[in-house]
Amino acid sequence: MLNPFRWLILVTLTFALPTVAQNETVDERILLTFIPNVQFAPFYVGIEEGYFADVGFTVTLEHLQEPEVLDLVAVGQANYGVVSGEQVILARARGRDVVYVFEWFQQYPVGLVFGGETDLSELKDLQGMTVGIPGRFGASYSGLTTLLGSAGLAESDIDLREIGFNAPEVFCLGVVDAAIVYVNNEPLQIQNLASAGDCGDVDNVDVISVASRVDLVSNGLIVSRARLDEDPDAVERIVNGLTKALQAVIDNPAAAYLASLEYVDGLPADPSLMRELQRSASQQEEFLASKPDREAIARSRLQLAADLAEGFDQASLTQFHVLLNTIDLWDAERLGYSELESWQAMSDTLLTMGFLGEDAGDLGAAFTNRFITGNEA
Amino acid sequence: MRKTAKRNPGRQEPTAGTQLGTNLRRASPFLTVFVLLLLWQWVSAREIISHILVPPPAEVYRAFIKAMAAGTLPKHALVTLEEMLYGLLIGLGIGLVIGYAIAKAPLLENILSPVIVGFQSTPIVAYAPLLVIWFGSGLASKVVTTAVIVFFPMLVNTIVGIRSVSPKLRDLLRSLKAGRWQTFRHLEIPSALPVVLAGLKTSATLAVIGAVVGEFVSQGSGLGFLVTSARNLYDTPLVFVAVLTMTAISLTLYGLVAYVEWRFLFWQRRSNR
Repeated sequence: MLNPFRWLILVTLTFALPTVAQNETVDERILLTFIPNVQFAPFYVGIEEGYFADVGFTVTLEHLQEPEVLDLVAVGQANYGVVSGEQVILARARGRDVVYVFEWFQQYPVGLVFGGETDLSELKDLQGMTVGIPGRFGASYSGLTTLLGSAGLAESDIDLREIGFNAPEVFCLGVVDAAIVYVNNEPLQIQNLASAGDCGDVDNVDVISVASRVDLVSNGLIVSRARLDEDPDAVERIVNGLTKALQAVIDNPAAAYLASLEYVDGLPADPSLMRELQRSASQQEEFLASKPDREAIARSRLQLAADLAEGFDQASLTQFHVLLNTIDLWDAERLGYSELESWQAMSDTLLTMGFLGEDAGDLGAAFTNRFITGNEA
Repeated sequence: MRKTAKRNPGRQEPTAGTQLGTNLRRASPFLTVFVLLLLWQWVSAREIISHILVPPPAEVYRAFIKAMAAGTLPKHALVTLEEMLYGLLIGLGIGLVIGYAIAKAPLLENILSPVIVGFQSTPIVAYAPLLVIWFGSGLASKVVTTAVIVFFPMLVNTIVGIRSVSPKLRDLLRSLKAGRWQTFRHLEIPSALPVVLAGLKTSATLAVIGAVVGEFVSQGSGLGFLVTSARNLYDTPLVFVAVLTMTAISLTLYGLVAYVEWRFLFWQRRSNR
């Protein structure tokens, strides 16, 4: 028979242990592509603001090339990775059983940049022009193929030059008439060069985005099928953490920029800019407390950009503008939700490019929306 | 005493043991490759590493046959070879000329060494993107990348080779009233040749690295491009095919230089007997 004191200990332990377990987090790494950059702000905010810790994970980030990310996830050496949708289709066609569980970029980030004075009112006017591209691979090549296809053109109709990831320099040297770029980044850099008079005869730049023509599936979070079957709860929690972190960045970009400073070397961070961003972040928190709708939040971002432009030069704000441009590619009614049509469009593009055999396989098995908020089973 | 020993008293008759040793030494590179293949097959068969990361040799062989039949592999290999050969010619030429000049004029070494050593100690992948911007994304940037990487071993070995010429022999030729050209041709070239050819061996193997680094930065064609393209299509067996082709090209070039060395340095063979 237990005495009252022992009963008390037992009852305390019974209630206390789950609380301890809930506070414990599991180490988890997420593989990203490219290099640390403000465009990965949702992951930095997820770590810094505790969105991943709240769902039970201590997340670390690693940057690799896209095929490496995908293979390491496919063989179970990492549980989570971020790659583009086209890579998922290609890899699945080669026996990598991975599943896309969260569409991070709602709009395909690739587009065509050209000088404002170049007459490209119709995309078919691109015929005969010299176009730069990083290489005949990846999202840039898929984007170009889609753009050309939407205008009834083929690669042979243009003079395609492979220029690596040097579009701003090569474009401004006048080597190419237009270049395939990431619409949230390089156009800003080229515009800065043009404004400084360092871009030949170009004074301003224009962009035609792929997303304005065709909805292609873009970058998102992947897991292996084995991981998904083994621990769907963990996958759901990571997706929930990422959703909240992404929403936090969309709602308060100034705070996200400040959180990114810890991770991204060389982000402009002079004291006056920091003070202004901290002030803006606090102000935005107050604004968010009034439960504004999506449009109102989008307007607040535009207002913030305008306010900052009054006090700071363009060079100091380039990376912040990259973040704002990227937020426009993320923002959606249902974060993370992906449409079968966008997968089909990407698959068609890959088939046109000759990168797939005759069949892309079961596209429905390549992704799931079951963990997306408002879409749970 | 046996007849052969009588005919050539200074030379020992090879025993069965030494003959076996010689044969083993000759066969050892092939044995190494064979053992590596066996190890690869064993690792694949037991799936110690996933086939996604390391495909079985048979799968790589099938990818090789397919790439040969489609003409993909010869096309890209020829591009890389072209870049390598132009890069080698330019890099070796400049290395030989500047190396000779530095060996003869130490002041030149003081003037040029900060630039040359600085350039050499910076990893080429760090400034290869700049070469693409400066020289364009075509053949030129890859040739320059190759030339830069093969230049330094040639330069250093030329300097060492020319400076290692025996002063006594120089004095001898001077006493025979030999002119500059005669000294160069009959003394400096033969004396420096072993060291210069050793530099050529290093340069020949580095040339593949130069060309492939250029192809990684500025894509389009070549074995470096084939690796990237195959990786992006998750065709790991084709990646292996491209990498092994690079190795084969490197080994072939190394073997060619070794042959040239064996052919032209006959006096070394005699003195080693």
